[in-house]
Amino acid sequence: MSRIFGIDLGTTNSLIASMEDGAPRVIAVGARHRALLPSVVAIAPDGAITVGERAIEMEPHLTVERDGRVSAVGFAGGEFGAVIRSVKRYMGLGGGEVAPEDRARYTFADLNGPVVRFQIGKRVFTPPQISAEILRALKDGAERALRAAGKDEKIERVVITVPAYFNDGQRQATKDAGRLAGLEVVRLVNEPTAASLAYGLDKRAAGNVAVFDFGGGTFDISILSIKEGIFEVLATNGDTHLGGDDIDRAIVDWLLAEIPDTLKLDRHVWNSARMAAENAKKRLTDVAETPVVVELPGHSIRKHLTRDALEQMAEPFLARTLKRCEMALADAKLTPAEIDAVVLVGGSTRMPLVRQRVAAMFHREPLCSIDPEQIVALGAAVQASVLMGMQGDMLLLDVVPLSLGIETMGGVMERLIHRNTTIPTSVAEGFTTAVDNQTHVDIHVLQGERELAKDCRSLARFKLGPIQPQSAGVPRIEVTFLIDANGILNVNARDERTGREHSVDVKPSYGLTDDEIERMLEEAIDLGEQDLEERLLISYRNDAEQILGALRKQLGEFGSLVEAGERARMDEVAERLEAARAGTDRELIAKLVEELNEVTTPFAKRIMDVAIKLALEKKSVEELS
Amino acid sequence: MPRKLAIDLGALERRYHELSRKVHPDRFASSDVRVRDASIRATATLTRSYRTLRDPVARGLYWLELFGEKLAENNKRVPPELADLVFEVQEQLAELCDAPAGSDPARELAVQVAQRRAGLQTMIDARLAELDRNFAKWDQRPDEKMLTLELKAILSSIAYIRTLIRDVDRALENSKAA
Repeated sequence: MSRIFGIDLGTTNSLIASMEDGAPRVIAVGARHRALLPSVVAIAPDGAITVGERAIEMEPHLTVERDGRVSAVGFAGGEFGAVIRSVKRYMGLGGGEVAPEDRARYTFADLNGPVVRFQIGKRVFTPPQISAEILRALKDGAERALRAAGKDEKIERVVITVPAYFNDGQRQATKDAGRLAGLEVVRLVNEPTAASLAYGLDKRAAGNVAVFDFGGGTFDISILSIKEGIFEVLATNGDTHLGGDDIDRAIVDWLLAEIPDTLKLDRHVWNSARMAAENAKKRLTDVAETPVVVELPGHSIRKHLTRDALEQMAEPFLARTLKRCEMALADAKLTPAEIDAVVLVGGSTRMPLVRQRVAAMFHREPLCSIDPEQIVALGAAVQASVLMGMQGDMLLLDVVPLSLGIETMGGVMERLIHRNTTIPTSVAEGFTTAVDNQTHVDIHVLQGERELAKDCRSLARFKLGPIQPQSAGVPRIEVTFLIDANGILNVNARDERTGREHSVDVKPSYGLTDDEIERMLEEAIDLGEQDLEERLLISYRNDAEQILGALRKQLGEFGSLVEAGERARMDEVAERLEAARAGTDRELIAKLVEELNEVTTPFAKRIMDVAIKLALEKKSVEELS
Repeated sequence: MPRKLAIDLGALERRYHELSRKVHPDRFASSDVRVRDASIRATATLTRSYRTLRDPVARGLYWLELFGEKLAENNKRVPPELADLVFEVQEQLAELCDAPAGSDPARELAVQVAQRRAGLQTMIDARLAELDRNFAKWDQRPDEKMLTLELKAILSSIAYIRTLIRDVDRALENSKAA
C-alpha cells in the first residue's frame, strides 16, 4: 500500500509533510521552494483555477503604475472571476451563516441553502470544492518535488488536520474536500494534538502539555497528558471563527476609518488595505513602529502604527483565547501550575503580546523550538506513520470537542455524549412510539453546550422506520450514536425484538449529501481534461505575450541596432504570433514563439553587447570620479 | 482487574492504555473495513468502561446496577436532609428570574446565586470524599444489602445537588441572556 502523507489544510497557508528517515519533513510545494502554500484559490470566469502565490497576485487590489497612476487589477468577483481566501472559515456553514461583512467580499449564489455557494462566472463552487483545489495543488506539488528528488511516488492516502473545535459538519466538509481531490482521507487529526505529536517525538516528553494554537482563522487550546508514548487529550476548547484574520480586519477598520463607506466596501480598496495591514502586523513583531500606506486613486492613506496600538486592537481577541484556556483547564481538572510545558502553534503566536500573555497565564515560558507554522503538518506526518504502524507504542487518544445530544420534549437538549469524551465512543438509546400505529420516529441530533435545542447547532435529522404499526410504546428501537476516531457521528438503529437492523434516513442539517458529492466528482473528472488543456493554452499565451512585449520594448530603445532586412522578418513573425495568440491552437503559438525567438536572437545579442559596454563605461566613469 | 469499589487509579489507567494499544483503530488503519469497524466498537466500549470506573459516582452507579438497584429516574424525590436547602435555592432562583433584567437588584442576585453555586460544589466535593473513604470500608464488608443502601443514599444526594447546580446554571445563563 502507498505511504500516508500528512496535510495541514490551514486558513492562511497549507502544507504537506512526510516521514523521511524517521523524522517528519515538510515538502517544498510553494513558490521559490517554500513549504507554505497560501490557501488562496483564484477562479477565472472561464473556470481556470490557480492556487497559491500566483492566486494572490490575482486578488483584486490597487497597484501603482510606473507613471504614478493607481489602477485596479485582479479578478473583481462574480462574473469577472474571483479569488477566495480563508475558505476554511466557510467549511460546514450554511448559506445563512455567512457574516454580513463577508457578503460584500464575495458573490454568493444562495444564502439560504445548507451549504455556502460562491458564484463565479456561470458556475457555483462550494467550500469543499475550493478546499479540494488546495489539496490537489499540494498533492501535485509534492509529487513533483518527490520526482525531482528521484522518487516516483503517487500521493493517494492522507491524514488531514482540522481545528480541534471543529464541529461534525466542519469535519465532514473537510473529509468531502479530500474525497473531491481524489484522496483517501485515512484520518482527520486535531491540529493541536498533531502539534503535540511533533513536539513529543522531538523531546520524548512526559507530563501535562498545553497546546495554544492561534492561527489565521481559528483558535484551539488542548490540554494533553503524555505518558509512555500515549498522547491522551484531557480537554479541548476553542473558537473556529477567531484568528489573525480578525486582527487584520481591526487594523483595516482603523486604516480606512476616514474614507467613505462605499469606498471601504470596494473589493480592490479593501484587499489593498488588508495586505497593508497584514504586512504591518508582521513587521511589528520585530520593530516598535511602522508606516502603513494604502495608495488610492488620487489619494493616499499614510498612517503610523505602533506596536502598542496594534496590541490594543488585538487585546479583545486575545482575551477571548485566554478565557477558552481557563475553560479547558477546568475541564481537564488541572491548575496552570500543573502544566509542564506550553507549545505555541500558528502564525499568530509570533506576536510578542501573545507570547507574554500565554506565559503569564501558565506561569512559564512557552516553547517554540519547532516553527509554529510547520509543527501541525509535521505532527500530521507523525500520525500518518503511526497509522502505518511505524511508531511502535505511540498512540493518540483524542476527544470530541462538543457535547452531542438529541432534542427532547419542550425543545430541551438531552446530552448523550459529553464534550471531552475520548473517541471513538458510543452510546445506545432506546426509542419508542408516542401514538398508536406510528410508523416513523424522528430524531433531531444536536451538538453544543447550551440547554435549549434552539441554541445548539443542528447536526442532522434521522427518520427511523418504517415501523410495524403497533400500540404506542410497544416498539423498541435501540439507536447507537457512535463518534469515530475522526470525531464524526455515525448512527445505526436496531429493533430490540427482532434484532434486525433498522434503516436510518439521514438528513444532514448542513453540508453536502452523498449524491451531491458524486455529481461534483463526475464534474471534476470532466473538467480535469478541459482544465489541463486550458491551463496549457494560458501558459503558452503568457509566453507569447512576454516575448512580444519584450520585443516591442527593445525595438523602442535599441531600434538603431536592427540590421537591414531584419526588421521586416521580425514584424512578420510577430504579427503571425499576435494573431495565433487570440486563437486556441496552442501548438501553433508554441511554434511561433520558437520562431520569433530565433529571428530575434542576433538582435538580442547585439543589445546585450551594447548594454554590457554601457555598463562598463558607466563603471569606469564612476571609478574616475 | 478485581471487582472492587476502591480502585487503584494508576493501575486502572495503565490497564486502559495497554488495552487501547491493542484495539485502537489507529492500529488497523490499513485493515479490512470489518476489522476497522470491530476495532472502533471495541475501543468505544473500552473508553466507556474506563470513564465509568474512573469516576467515583459513575462507578458507584454501575455497582448499584450490578446489584439490580437504580437511582430513581430524574431523581424526583428530594433526599430529606436536602429539603431545606432545595427550598432556599428555588426561592433564590425565582427571585433572580423575577428581577428586571439589567437592574442593580438583578446583578446583586446573580452574584448571590453564583456564590450559592460555589457552596453547592463544596457540598459535592465533601460527599465525593466521603464516597472515597467508604469505598475501601465497603469492600471489606460482606453485607451487600446495607452497602447498597448506604451507597445509594450518598449517590442520590450527589445526583440531586448536581441537578440543583444545573438549575442554577440555567438560571444564570437566562439572566445573562436577558
